[in-house]
Amino acid sequence: MNRPTFGYAVAALAAAASFAVPLMLDRSQLTIFILLGTAVIVTTGLSLLMGYAGQVSLGQGSFYAVGAYTAGLMAVHGLPTLLGLAAAPVLAAALAALVGVPLLRLRGHYLAFATLAVQLILLSLVGQFEFTGGDIGLRGIPQLGVGDATLIDPLAYAYVTLAAAALVLLVTRNLIKSRPGRGLRALASTEVAAESAGVPVGRYKLAVFSLSAAYAGLAGGIYAFYLGYISPGSFPVLLSVQFVVMAVVGGLGTVWGPVVGATLITLLVQALNSLGTMPGMPAYAPDVLSYAVYALLLILVLLFMPRGLLPSIGSRLEDRRAISPTRS
Amino acid sequence: MLEVDDLVVRYGAATALDGVSLRIEQREMVALVGPNGAGKSTLLNTLSGILRPAAGRMRVEGRLAQVPEGRQLFPDLTVEDNLRLGAWRSGDRDPGRVYRLFPGLMRLRRHHAGTLSGGEQQMVAVGRALMSDPDILAVDELSLGLAPLVVADLVRHLRMLNEERGMAILLVEQNARLAFDICGRAYIIEAGRVVASGSCAELANSPEVQRAYLGGSTDEYEEYDESEESEETTR
Amino acid sequence: MSALLQYVISGLALGCTFALVGSGFVVIHRVTRVVNFAQGAFPVIAGLATASLLTRGLPHGAAELVAILLGGVIGLVVGVVAIGKPGTPPLASLVITLGLAIFAYAVEIIVWGDQPVSFPGLSGTVNVAGARIQQQYFLVIVVALVTFALLELFFGRTYLGKGLAACASNPYSARLVGISVTRMGLVAFALGGVLGGLAGVLVTPLQAVSFDSDVTLAINGFAAAIFGGLMRPMMALVGGLVLGVAEALVAGYYESAFQTEVALAIMLTLMVWQASRRSALEEA
Repeated sequence: MNRPTFGYAVAALAAAASFAVPLMLDRSQLTIFILLGTAVIVTTGLSLLMGYAGQVSLGQGSFYAVGAYTAGLMAVHGLPTLLGLAAAPVLAAALAALVGVPLLRLRGHYLAFATLAVQLILLSLVGQFEFTGGDIGLRGIPQLGVGDATLIDPLAYAYVTLAAAALVLLVTRNLIKSRPGRGLRALASTEVAAESAGVPVGRYKLAVFSLSAAYAGLAGGIYAFYLGYISPGSFPVLLSVQFVVMAVVGGLGTVWGPVVGATLITLLVQALNSLGTMPGMPAYAPDVLSYAVYALLLILVLLFMPRGLLPSIGSRLEDRRAISPTRS
Repeated sequence: MLEVDDLVVRYGAATALDGVSLRIEQREMVALVGPNGAGKSTLLNTLSGILRPAAGRMRVEGRLAQVPEGRQLFPDLTVEDNLRLGAWRSGDRDPGRVYRLFPGLMRLRRHHAGTLSGGEQQMVAVGRALMSDPDILAVDELSLGLAPLVVADLVRHLRMLNEERGMAILLVEQNARLAFDICGRAYIIEAGRVVASGSCAELANSPEVQRAYLGGSTDEYEEYDESEESEETTR
Repeated sequence: MSALLQYVISGLALGCTFALVGSGFVVIHRVTRVVNFAQGAFPVIAGLATASLLTRGLPHGAAELVAILLGGVIGLVVGVVAIGKPGTPPLASLVITLGLAIFAYAVEIIVWGDQPVSFPGLSGTVNVAGARIQQQYFLVIVVALVTFALLELFFGRTYLGKGLAACASNPYSARLVGISVTRMGLVAFALGGVLGGLAGVLVTPLQAVSFDSDVTLAINGFAAAIFGGLMRPMMALVGGLVLGVAEALVAGYYESAFQTEVALAIMLTLMVWQASRRSALEEA
């Protein structure tokens, strides 16, 4: 089987599986499924940003929050919910474009701190303002719907999330294959080389930064409608770190890496959560376990599989395939 | 003093040195000549232990110190600190012996190395290498970007180190005329391989070497040197 | 007037602790080019450890010293993981230090729980021009100033300090003269841990610390370090003092909730300003 066909087969299989899986889940499992879907969406953008523009964002949670608050506020004020969901990625991208102009002049290490700072500032502002509900948050966000028909069933939300994730993956795949995508690849190797090859480095970086923010915004919108309640506490710095862990573990700059990374981390954290809440465990056990897992996965993958889980395993399989004909 | 056999060095997939063999005897001055990117600096960095060879053998008797291409000083440290750091691995940390060799550096010793002229910086670079009391001195592109008078002065010092202290010297040069003038033997290296070696007199008479490294280029060199010199004086 | 004096002095003291955390950032970044995201963990661990040691009956002084040394040891461990493996690119090292910062959360919660911890510092107050000021503030300021003087002497006068400076100045040449850049990087991490630990020991009596205090400490320290472009320890002191006083005034006269935001805004502005100046220089 050649590579493209193999890829399509895997994609078709994954699509079929993710379409079938929600039907088999109970309510709480559906919640996990939806959170996983939103994590895939955010991580796909972050992976693009880290893998192609070589920029680490520790503030992806801020765009997630902007999307959630945009959707939530619009819906609370009686605007059509679909409009809110559409505005969520737009506003997140607009904010990214705005802060990106000055911030993207910073090199890697500085940018990481700057995006973290942006998130902290945003959270504190959201906590101060009255119209955002302050520290208490925004309650009673209506359900997503068109006209009188609203989505109440978590199963419906699962499919909305699935559709959004599919859209994001498709856009990302097409982007990577496109001409600008190849320019971005040059950007990933070295900025100077890309610049001298005529790639408009600054504009591309800003575009990827905004796109990744749009993804996060979209995910945030879904999150707000599904839970119906958001507060500054829903978007801690640790959430941004979690997205970085998912992106790094899955493998940067690939289409499927974020899916693998987000799925693996989400399932692992869930498993540890149920372990940590077992009788006899101390109250802090769930937190401690998830901190330890994020940390260890991040460190071990970076040290021993720097390209991420998926590309590392993929190239190992390829090596085997390349070797086997000569052996036989 | 120095023996290198079949040395192979790679940068990832690219092979920078492809089976280089070379020998330096005691008290010898040997030139290593070749075009840009031939692998000269790679060889020196391998001898200094900064690069690891993929294959081959090398044996250094005593200590080797390198004067790297482009001087590579610690620009924001003083001249004296630059010299003292030369003795990190071995040797006496008192730079007095370098000041005796290059008296001009004495009055510059509190200046930051980055503020010095090219010739002064080259003296510091040589001095820093001497601080480890080496038995072999490997000098990478001594003349690059320096005025002829400055080069002549540095060459005089190298000769003195060789004759009076018995230091073996490996001189890497793009300016083959200069290298042949100073050294007894030379190796010509192209694309990671030694393509010719022998006494400098012999090599200078070989038609291929003349065409590639000596022929017709004299005027160019002089023009180049003059422009550098004028820059030197305006500084 | 007495209120102003009180704000300024408490701001200076707080600024000194930022400066100490920040100088850790600077020392590590200069030598290794890595921004150590685990820098906030050192003061937290040292603060928590001091409190524990004091309750176990260790006298003041000894407890603090042990905690500071613990900071150094943890700094070394962070360094080994972050830069110990040859060929780890700086950006990977950065994310690894982030991972270590999160790992520290797990350890800290297991050992010390998740509640804020404090311990008494110097008790008593001094009367300065009508303002009653805690003695601990003066202790912090004096210790920090002495530390910065020692740091300056270390980098300016000792051979090891010069070796560290050489790695910062030209890593290639440093290797050429036989300095192990990795080993010097580990020394820098250990020193960064000691400086962070010192900050924690000094600040905990003023502000209780818990495992997640590291974000505030690291942000403020980083903001202080940015004043010197992450390269000059002395500028981190200046930066820390400016930040500390600015924050104390904002908290005193305006709204204490905006204290950290002041640091964040100053830090962002400075970073962008420095970056635009740098690219202007490069274009020229």
